[in-house]
Amino acid sequence: MQIILPDRSTRQLDCGPLPIEEILHRFGINPVSVIVTRNGRLVPETAYAEEEDEIRIIRVAHGG
Amino acid sequence: MLTPDSRDVRCTSTPCSEPAVIRLRDSGQYLCSTHCIRHVENLFARAVEGQRMIAPGDRIAVAFSGGKDSTALLLLLHAALPAWPDVTLLAITVDEGIAGYRDETIHAAVDLTTRIGIEHHIVSFASLFGGDLDMLLRGRESRSCTVCGILRRRALTVAARQAGATKIAVGHNLDDEAQSVLMNLLRGDFPHLVQDAASGEPECFIPRIKPLAGLSEREIVTYLILTGNYRELPECPYTNFALRSEVRVMLAELELQHPGTMKNLIRSRDTIRQYTERVSRKGTVQRCRECGEVCSGEICQVCRILSRPE
Repeated sequence: MQIILPDRSTRQLDCGPLPIEEILHRFGINPVSVIVTRNGRLVPETAYAEEEDEIRIIRVAHGG
Repeated sequence: MLTPDSRDVRCTSTPCSEPAVIRLRDSGQYLCSTHCIRHVENLFARAVEGQRMIAPGDRIAVAFSGGKDSTALLLLLHAALPAWPDVTLLAITVDEGIAGYRDETIHAAVDLTTRIGIEHHIVSFASLFGGDLDMLLRGRESRSCTVCGILRRRALTVAARQAGATKIAVGHNLDDEAQSVLMNLLRGDFPHLVQDAASGEPECFIPRIKPLAGLSEREIVTYLILTGNYRELPECPYTNFALRSEVRVMLAELELQHPGTMKNLIRSRDTIRQYTERVSRKGTVQRCRECGEVCSGEICQVCRILSRPE
């Protein structure tokens, strides 16, 4: 699956279905500070992602 | 492959089984887009009505940076306006003069006020204080948020007073409020911990209202995305200098492990305020001997910042 990180860089993750919070954990991202879209749709972090999905992580905590 | 049904977490509002877009961490509730929007609007309305933030005849100046919180605040207040026929709304944007950052957010601010037809005032540090933030901060970048906050509050007060505002609405959210409580404790800043800007005391202050203080940053960003009003904007380049960014990370970790931590911090502050109100002395208004603005000493913080030797 393709992961788009908050800084817009992308990573490829080769694995089976995973809860999104597990993906966040792997990238050291606190779920309290972000929201996530799966294939363009907002989903809770307990939703699952699988091989062909595009997961985008949007940071909500902003300075300024 | 998982079927779409098993992958989608469902809204737990009854009766509803639409796909959820957010989980509220402290209650464990899942909300679909419709119920998430309603949830945000309800919390906003409950705060405004429950705390009697708006009175007949009010002219409300929204501190409108163009960022996510003030955008949500302006949209929610604007949508609620028909219920208050004699209340007027205006937006005030403070241009601190931060290269590579503020231009884009001001552009976003102008776009929105033009689209929804709101009176909009833009006031700059350069015109009020004789220089932009980048210039005023030279050599003291580590205090950037403190300096900027003091000058921005003054700029907002001056612009609101000039526009005849009776209230200033700020977009502080639950995360901001909880961070401020912890920061004030860490700094040993008891006066700021107990200060309640909503009271308008002393009487020459324009009272500040915070209708989003019960909403988390996640709820606000989700609301903006769902209503088609989310816009990615650059982050302030001075953010990393701030104690707030360390406190933000610390609190987010605590909130993850112990959901409800942020609300508990705010509840603790409110309890302390109730106790201190009984012993606080009101009516001891002092004026800065340099500029004449209300302050707690002989010289206000703004004049101290502006007169600092380089």
